[in-house]
Amino acid sequence: MLEKNPYRILKAEVLEVTAETPTIKTIRFKPEQPVPFRTGQFIELTIPGVGESPFTPSSKPSINDVLEVSVMKVGKVTEKVHQLKKGDEIGVRGPFGNGYPLDEFKGKEVLVVGGGCGFAPLRSLMYSLFELSGQFKKLCFRGGCKAPSEFLYRKEIEGWAKRPDLNLELTVDKGDESWKGHVGLVTTILDSAQMDYKNGIAILCGPPIMMKFGAKKIMEMGFQEKNLFLSMEKNMSCGIGKCGHCRLGTYYCCKDGPVFRYDQIKNLSEIWD
Amino acid sequence: MGKSFILKDADFTGFLDKLSFDFDVFFPVKNGSQRFFKKFVNANDHPVVGEVRPFEPLKAFFSRAREFVAENFSAEPPKINHKPYAIVGVKACDLKGFQIQDFVFKNNGLEDPFYIHNREKNLIIGADCTCAIDTCFCIALGIKPYPHRDFDLNLSTVPGGYVVEEGSEKGKALLEKYPSLFKNAAESELRAKEEQRAKTTRAVEENLKKFQVPTEDKFQGIIERNFASKIWEEEAKTCVECGACTNICPTCHCFFLYDQKDDKKMARLRVWDSCMIKDYARVAGGANPRKRLWMRLRNRFEKKFDFFPKVLKVYACTGCGRCISACPAKIDIRKVLKRLVANA
Repeated sequence: MLEKNPYRILKAEVLEVTAETPTIKTIRFKPEQPVPFRTGQFIELTIPGVGESPFTPSSKPSINDVLEVSVMKVGKVTEKVHQLKKGDEIGVRGPFGNGYPLDEFKGKEVLVVGGGCGFAPLRSLMYSLFELSGQFKKLCFRGGCKAPSEFLYRKEIEGWAKRPDLNLELTVDKGDESWKGHVGLVTTILDSAQMDYKNGIAILCGPPIMMKFGAKKIMEMGFQEKNLFLSMEKNMSCGIGKCGHCRLGTYYCCKDGPVFRYDQIKNLSEIWD
Repeated sequence: MGKSFILKDADFTGFLDKLSFDFDVFFPVKNGSQRFFKKFVNANDHPVVGEVRPFEPLKAFFSRAREFVAENFSAEPPKINHKPYAIVGVKACDLKGFQIQDFVFKNNGLEDPFYIHNREKNLIIGADCTCAIDTCFCIALGIKPYPHRDFDLNLSTVPGGYVVEEGSEKGKALLEKYPSLFKNAAESELRAKEEQRAKTTRAVEENLKKFQVPTEDKFQGIIERNFASKIWEEEAKTCVECGACTNICPTCHCFFLYDQKDDKKMARLRVWDSCMIKDYARVAGGANPRKRLWMRLRNRFEKKFDFFPKVLKVYACTGCGRCISACPAKIDIRKVLKRLVANA
């Protein structure tokens, strides 16, 4: 008899579909059994008959019977994800990978930097950090987007400004009449975090170009390489380090990541592509 | 080393007949100048137990080129509808492939149940090579042209039959099950075995000289050293991106998951994939870490000569030479290795 099948697809029902931006929708779904995940881990979402794609849940890890993913329409599977409606049947595998080492962040100053679609995994991370509120010396969030219209979870994230336990600043590359805040790249609003960089934790998640320049800036600020955590996007497929697609040096993004410390991967040639 | 027995030529087909009660038996036959695995059905086929490896890699019996891995939303894995395989005439180069395949599919705490099932159930009857063809260079990768591990039984061709060596409990049980077929090997038969082994080894050594193939003791750091080298672009010039080299390779393990659906059933299948194909590492957002063909050729060598030595302390090449004969663009791994080693 075969052992537990890691390729087994768990049935799930779509509960709600929310259009967040012109290109991003959030799918709220209920798997037939709970999917306990740590923040930063990812799942494979199946559109039956079409295929599966990797997404990091954007919802609270403390709730594991209903999950949310925010999905940008970019390819074959995500196009079908955008056509989903309440009651549709989808599939899920996972969770896979390592997630963020939250215990290591406790007692320290933490800077979370992200943008674009990277807000999806970071929202889940922020929920987890908020649940641990008071256990960090300082908590800073710096978010950036191309334009206000593309600002994922804009209302919710702007609402975090009221939190006494969070130092928040947001920016857009190009503003419009709805935007009263900062305009410029996210790297231009990091210095105001005013942290003990040498002993602080930095977390970075966003599109490749933001990752590249964000990491450079964070290093210049004086963070230690081992204290910068990057959530990497590679072509994760099997989720268990077998199919080969997401290799990154001597690691597989799916099982050794998707969260890496900067010193693990900084010398690899292909990290930002 | 287990005990040695002799299986007479006259008893060979009878042995396969007996095996086919419990297994689907495959053995090598010759078609033109190539050898292929063929399913044993009756005594009319002429097996080529010795000589060299067949064209298909052994891995095809362990992770199928195309197989179902999930159906509907069922917790039950798809049914396996055939007897386990007994593969006869497996050569040392193919057996080295198990070091890589086992590591990938078994030993990282995230087991692949399909592979493990096949590894447990299938029977491996190895065989010594009795010659070398032009493309053979196993010795450069630290193996000999005769099996020394990872088999259940091994056959060494000698005049009048085969010297049989047991390599596992499963193999031992077979010998005990059919005692009338296996007699103690005579001193002269054991000598004939050693003489043949020495002769084949010399033939492979001749190949290494003729093609100036570097040996693995010189491979340390060759990828890192040559990462920015022009070698990759030059060698990839003729590549047509067909993926033959990876499909045919005993150590390549990459696969691709895809879905099928009709009115009754949804199924997930996996098929062998190739890192030489353009979209292999591309993500849906469009980023592709290896856009150029030469980057993918470099990546293929990096996986074999940098990744696996780092994570497993084994070079993921067995010197079987299949990629040399399969490549329509005449990319020769021996020549690439020679250039990498020379460019120190």
